[in-house]
Amino acid sequence: MSNFIMSINPGLLLILAGVISAVMPIQRVRQILAIGTPLIAMVLLSGAVQDTDLVTLNAMGVDMVLYRVDNLSFIFGLAFLIAATLNGIYALHQDSIIEDSSALIYAGAAVAGTFVGDFMSLFVFWELTAISSVFLILKTGTRAAYGAAMRYLGVQVLSGVLLLFGAVQLFAATGNMSLRALELGADAGTWLLLIAFGIKAAFPLMHNWLQDSYPRATVVGAVVLSAFTTKLAVYILARVFPGENLLIYIGAVMTVFPVFFAVIENDLRKVLAYSLNNQVGFMVCAIGVGTELALNGAAAHAFAHIMYKGLLFMSMGAVLYRTGTTKASELGGLYKSMPWTALFCIIGAASISAFPFFSGFVAKSLTMSAVLAEHHYIIWGMLLFASAGVLEHSGIKIPYFAFFGHDSGKRVEEAPFNMLLAMGIAAFICVSIALPAGAGLGYGFLYSLLPSPDVALGYNPYTFEHVLTQMQLLILAAFAFVLLKRFGMYPPEKPGTVLDSDWLYRRAGYGTALWGGAVWTKIGPALMSVWQGLLKHATERIEATFSPQGLLSRGPLTGGMAVWSGVLLGAVLLMSFLSSN
Amino acid sequence: MSEDPKQPMAPGDPDMHPMAKLMFGWVSNPNIGKRIFWGLFGFSMLLILADVVFDRHPHNEAESYIGFYGVYGFCAFAFVVLMGWPLGRLLRRDENYYGDADDGEGGQ
Repeated sequence: MSNFIMSINPGLLLILAGVISAVMPIQRVRQILAIGTPLIAMVLLSGAVQDTDLVTLNAMGVDMVLYRVDNLSFIFGLAFLIAATLNGIYALHQDSIIEDSSALIYAGAAVAGTFVGDFMSLFVFWELTAISSVFLILKTGTRAAYGAAMRYLGVQVLSGVLLLFGAVQLFAATGNMSLRALELGADAGTWLLLIAFGIKAAFPLMHNWLQDSYPRATVVGAVVLSAFTTKLAVYILARVFPGENLLIYIGAVMTVFPVFFAVIENDLRKVLAYSLNNQVGFMVCAIGVGTELALNGAAAHAFAHIMYKGLLFMSMGAVLYRTGTTKASELGGLYKSMPWTALFCIIGAASISAFPFFSGFVAKSLTMSAVLAEHHYIIWGMLLFASAGVLEHSGIKIPYFAFFGHDSGKRVEEAPFNMLLAMGIAAFICVSIALPAGAGLGYGFLYSLLPSPDVALGYNPYTFEHVLTQMQLLILAAFAFVLLKRFGMYPPEKPGTVLDSDWLYRRAGYGTALWGGAVWTKIGPALMSVWQGLLKHATERIEATFSPQGLLSRGPLTGGMAVWSGVLLGAVLLMSFLSSN
Repeated sequence: MSEDPKQPMAPGDPDMHPMAKLMFGWVSNPNIGKRIFWGLFGFSMLLILADVVFDRHPHNEAESYIGFYGVYGFCAFAFVVLMGWPLGRLLRRDENYYGDADDGEGGQ
């Protein structure tokens, strides 16, 4: 029996809890499920035997691996489960069946997807993350949210379909469906797989679903969304395309371009969405480098990122919950009424900016060192540039414009206790996994969970040189902020819509479709009448020839049909007679 | 930083959260802008000085210059922020550009 329990994919447990939540009217039971199930799942996960196919299934000739744990999947799964627990706590103040169940199923799908061992099972959970999470956006109930949710669903399902196409092609070419490291272009379907993963990881030009949908989700919804989808894609990239050179360049571009959008964006939750993009870029780049150190960096960064990005979204969610807006132009001075939220937000901001003694530092150092060790100097320069950019939009802009800056005069209640508790735990994790506290504690704990723990534990992020260079980068960048602010050269926060690549389909594409429609309504009838005229003419001619009263039917049947049949038959006989000699 | 000096908060602001004064009371100091400015300037100089005194082990030529990281961080940050001016003019449109701003924001 215990063997049976230990072989349950913990994601399935969460999905089951989510399904129960969907039909459970009693709020208290849903709350217990939302917090208790991820905790039980963590116990199951820590007891699972690693590097073995724990549950397998053969369906239609395809070997499916439903549960398999190894060093790489363990840390991602653990991070997902911690995030799910925190989300449960963060949502305690509200009574919403749809958000509770959707959050659990979504988290469960991400966890289950992390622990499967073949592309077919992955496809199932890949699509389930899309379908279950769309309710977190729809629940907002506005027209804008509805549009964003539909675009989100379309893009996510497209990613799943491409994944299925790629997997089927791969299976046809190799006969092997297992999730494994592949070489891009070596087998059929690998490009499709990369695009499928790329959409979900929000690669440049495939990224806009993220900035479109996350800021439109509910208070709790945005927190839940920030943890799973993109990081599941990062995990799969690390599993399938480690060391793929192309990813180095994609990742580097991904770290740089969102920085510019984040500066001019007014909605602080959208700024966080751009910042999420930029952070995932670091992970993608590290996966592209592909050395043990670099893959450790990607995994550590993902773990730390899930915590501090969740924390930042929680703090902005609390601001939205209390003030009804996250627009920088309408906020400011909130530290007076929400000091705890401000404090936790600052801890999240320091973590994402990678200040020493905060989690971003111990995670990003691995990636930066790996990039330097492989002599990718231009890439390194781009990542360094992006690091200063992170300080700008997430480190300074978010806390400064929400909690300090120009006092908006808004005086509200501090966030509900459960929100503060969730933020407090997340903030505690951000600091505690970053401290140099000796083996097994502090950053040693995080490093011991990484894919190559031996390599990680041999790495010390707290060398004098490392701390000094990082502090130089951050402190002089921060000085640039006060300098520009003092001389009025910092662009003011203005309300507005910032155009991004979604303009292509929301404006250009949609506009073309509308234009096409308008043109059709104008010239359609004319074209139709010409066509109908032609058609009518042709029909008349055909009828005139073949109908019972038509040309060919005139005269006696024997005189027409029989003679012509006889002539044709004769010709065929003659031909076959000649050719047989 | 630049705006608080003009409107120093009344010490007994009745709407203020009791913890706010304890944690962030220093923000309302009228000289805080100046102090942060000079404090950061001093710290920056100190960090660059540390670069002169201690030897680093650079991986490439760029890294070997004294204060490279600081100057790079400063320039990158300033570039990103200053690009906000032209980019804002180029890319920022009306809030209702896509015609769905009637209730454009999330929340309950």
